[in-house]
Amino acid sequence: MAANGAIPNGSADAPIDVSGSPNVVGINFGNSYASIAVLTKEGLSECIANEDGERQIACAISFHGEEIYIGNQAKPQLIKNGHNTIVGFRNLLGKKFSELPKDKPSASALIIQHPDLPDTPAYKVHVLQPAPKPLPPTTSNVNTPSASAMATPRSEPTPAERILTVSEVTTIFLKSLIKSAEDFLGKKVTGAVVSVPAWFDDAQRAALAKAAEDAEFHVLQLLEDSGAIAVTTAYGATPAELSDDRTQLVVDVGQSSLELALLSIRQGLAYSLATSTDFSVGGEQIDDKLIKFFAKDFTKKSKVPLVVCPAKHTDKRAEAKLRLAVEHTKRTLAASPGAATCSVESLKDGFDYTGTINRLRFDMEMKPIYEQIATKVRELVESASLDLYDVDEIVYVGGSASFPGLDDYLGQAFHEGIVTPFTTGTVIGGGVGDPTTILARGCALQAKLLASIGTGEEESKVRQAFEVESEWTKVKATTKTIGILFPEENSDGGLGGQWIPTILMETPLPCRRVHTFEVDLGEGDSKKVGFEVWEVKEGVKIEKVIPPKEEDDPEEVKEDAGDPEEDDDAEEELDVKEKTVEKETFLQSLSLEAKEATKVNGRWKTKLEVQFLVGGDGGLEISAWEIGKDGRGEKTSVSVSA
Amino acid sequence: MAHVVELSVVPPPLPSSWSPPKPSGKSISPLVSRRLLPAGPAFLAHVRRVVHDLSFEEHDKHLQEEKKRLAELNGEGVIVDDLGVGDEDETEELLSLDPKEWKKQDHYAVLGLSHLRYKANDAQIKIAHRKKVLKHHPDKKAGTAGDSNDDAFFKCIQKAHEVLTNPERRRQFDSVDPYYSLLEDDIPTSSQITKAKDPSKAFFRGFGPVFEREARFSKVVPKEGGVPMLGGVDDSKEKVEGFYDFWYNFDSWRSFEYLDKEVNEGSDNRDDKRYTEKKNKTERARRKKEDIARLRSIVDLTLSLDPRIKRIKEEEKAAREAKKKGKLNSASGTATPNAKEDEEKKKAEEAKKKEEEELAKAEAKKAKAAAANARKKARRAERATDGP
Ligand SMILES: Nc1ncnc2c1ncn2[C@@H]1O[C@H](COP(=O)(O)OP(=O)(O)O)[C@@H](O)[C@H]1O
Ligand SMILES: [Mg+2]
Repeated sequence: MAANGAIPNGSADAPIDVSGSPNVVGINFGNSYASIAVLTKEGLSECIANEDGERQIACAISFHGEEIYIGNQAKPQLIKNGHNTIVGFRNLLGKKFSELPKDKPSASALIIQHPDLPDTPAYKVHVLQPAPKPLPPTTSNVNTPSASAMATPRSEPTPAERILTVSEVTTIFLKSLIKSAEDFLGKKVTGAVVSVPAWFDDAQRAALAKAAEDAEFHVLQLLEDSGAIAVTTAYGATPAELSDDRTQLVVDVGQSSLELALLSIRQGLAYSLATSTDFSVGGEQIDDKLIKFFAKDFTKKSKVPLVVCPAKHTDKRAEAKLRLAVEHTKRTLAASPGAATCSVESLKDGFDYTGTINRLRFDMEMKPIYEQIATKVRELVESASLDLYDVDEIVYVGGSASFPGLDDYLGQAFHEGIVTPFTTGTVIGGGVGDPTTILARGCALQAKLLASIGTGEEESKVRQAFEVESEWTKVKATTKTIGILFPEENSDGGLGGQWIPTILMETPLPCRRVHTFEVDLGEGDSKKVGFEVWEVKEGVKIEKVIPPKEEDDPEEVKEDAGDPEEDDDAEEELDVKEKTVEKETFLQSLSLEAKEATKVNGRWKTKLEVQFLVGGDGGLEISAWEIGKDGRGEKTSVSVSA
Repeated sequence: MAHVVELSVVPPPLPSSWSPPKPSGKSISPLVSRRLLPAGPAFLAHVRRVVHDLSFEEHDKHLQEEKKRLAELNGEGVIVDDLGVGDEDETEELLSLDPKEWKKQDHYAVLGLSHLRYKANDAQIKIAHRKKVLKHHPDKKAGTAGDSNDDAFFKCIQKAHEVLTNPERRRQFDSVDPYYSLLEDDIPTSSQITKAKDPSKAFFRGFGPVFEREARFSKVVPKEGGVPMLGGVDDSKEKVEGFYDFWYNFDSWRSFEYLDKEVNEGSDNRDDKRYTEKKNKTERARRKKEDIARLRSIVDLTLSLDPRIKRIKEEEKAAREAKKKGKLNSASGTATPNAKEDEEKKKAEEAKKKEEEELAKAEAKKAKAAAANARKKARRAERATDGP
């Protein structure tokens, strides 16, 4: 097993139970939705449904009389019982009351300054409290059962105010998540990895850790969202079109924010090249657009005016109803190509409403949102001094990233071969690319990994490495791509031979890369193998090209751009991008005599294995072996000092 | 242990003038500081190397030793009695199966049980599965420096296991086992039998395996002797009759849920769902009906070509005849057969024989037509389900 296989120094106290999966879970704790993943017997992870059958569990708690609703059942309460319904509490963790924006109108429970704790936000809700003491026996009322040893007579519950801190609310919610997981597993959960946004600071992390502690479960790690994605990436199958060394763009569209991260993934080791957060785009904005669309449709059909987003006071209720209803519409739009409906009973003035929207129309309505996301993506990639063409893969996270239309829209700006869960078909049917479960699944796999680390003294440093801001996460990384060049006779232009990149820029050190391939030695008797080691400059060349007629060669089109038939669309020039590589620094060369060459179709060929080892300081050792029938032959090495 | 990337490029021969240039003495470009995401097996491996100051090679060695130790601890290395399963060759085609298409995969082949199929018992399935898991578990590679891996086949294995260990799902799969589906049409035609050099031999050779295959669907397996098989040419009248009796009343557990169209789970359209469900139900019933007809036509065909029937009829007649004669004889007291009577009897017999043969031929023709019809229907149905 992965993690267990990696215990060095024969530690005697290493965990040896590799058969049963540990009772650990992964929790994606979003601001609006949470999800839970467990490990399967096979060591994979899967997102589970809670007892309400929900995989995406609304982060909502509602107090209604003596009842408490937690999760999706609490959401409808926002309509009738808004002032007793708490949502959006995660983002308030670790915040002072004075730090909160005060002007935000809200349909949910009031946030007040806590009566006792200094500068602490709290929620005030109205509940019914069961009377503390049994009623004194009454004689007059026949309907009241007399007190007996058997049952305490219930008194009328009394209305009361309850003050809850953000931390307390979080604890109640987390407890319910753990309970769901335990119900599913049929055993106690011993630990969990919980996801947190990249921008969570120490105070926020500490507040969350405290809330979890109060919920009585052990937090194995508060893992940044990107970390959870990196884990799923490392465990998942690498699609054939992708290399294990790649640049990954993570697009997380949640309910109230867009979170972007550009990751360098190098054989499973990952770090952020850039991150950004935009609180002005998310599922809420998508909802707004849909609500407006349906409100207009309603007015058209029923002739009842309905003004929403923002809503007039009289229309607030209708807006809230629509907001609840479009949740379903969005999921249908994301899941299937057909039209999606939105139905609300008694939307306004007693009129019911049912309307539909198809994907085409939806994507049209969403265009400004898609464009805003695209702009943010461009800015992010620019901030890392990279080009969109440098991105190899897009990973989507968050419920609102489930729309194929978003992928289509964003995809245009990248190179043709960009790999996304939509192109690989891993979104549908709860596949590995499912944006709504990917975080929880990553957290569960990470939990398994952490559970495998020994508890002994010699592993203490290893354990520390997973703590926040641990020293062990600091690394040096390369800034230029290094590779090998096989010089070629009369090579036309370019680099003057066959170029094989071996260590990409932004590779953390120390690192090792091993490549094997066949080498053509020609027809002659000199069976010499040799190559040069270079550092290169990579870039993206942009050429202005007049858009070609379909299926035509761009070159050709340029020449007959004057063709009268094309006049209409020949005007606008298009950017055609191409990746470029230029030799920059020659470092070393290596050569050897091939001894294991075989003649194939009159040409000598041999198989070569080349290893690049870069130390933590940047020192480079290059080794090459011929691979014969008995494995590696004699080793030839050269080095480049740090 | 190192993760080796195989490239498909083939660098060209060196220019004759090339000799290795002297090292430039330059170092690689200045490094930058980054912060790793503390996540995933590759990070753990990285930390272990750095914390314990291990080179890649030393770390590899530890990994290997640890793996061996754990395998021994878990008794994974050796499976004491493997019941002779799970060692079938894994073809390229098999290994490149797509788990998303799991419904189409041959679950027995995936677990290396193609030689056993519906005969595989639970223990054999368990062992075969365990062997496959040991061989293809994604974690086997995940421990090394961030090796990513392709767990597609592993997922296929899990699917196969899931299906074959659930009796109901296994029954559904066995009902449409692709291996047997291919053989299903492999039924001798009547002309193949009648025109054969030795029709009797051809009959038993041709139809014996058909019934052996079909027998697996029987709900009832008689305690004595199991499902009656075609048997041999010398079988007694009782045995032959018992055979046809059983097969004409064959009670099959075969069903066709496995070929259901997927209910579109993504769609919340209840009507959609209900429609698909309804359609599946009627399809299942139609297939079941067709399957009953198919078996019946096989039995009809077999009966029409069975050389034993003629023999039995002759025997019966002879017995009748003998009985009659016995009566007659005892009445008249004479036992001498009349030559003329004999002659007539022979003639009548021949005529009857001819008549019978013609009848059998006609019968066979009908059965053949029915079988062809059924096949055509089946093909059409298949196309309909495969269709877009
Ligand atoms: N399948 C889906 N298709 C479209 N939108 C979805 C889907 N599932 C959830 N959403 C929307 O995504 C948002 C929640 O995103 P999520 O990432 O789960 O939450 P958070 O904001 O807490 O990170 C909500 O606006 C919700 O309506
Ligand atoms: Mg989120």
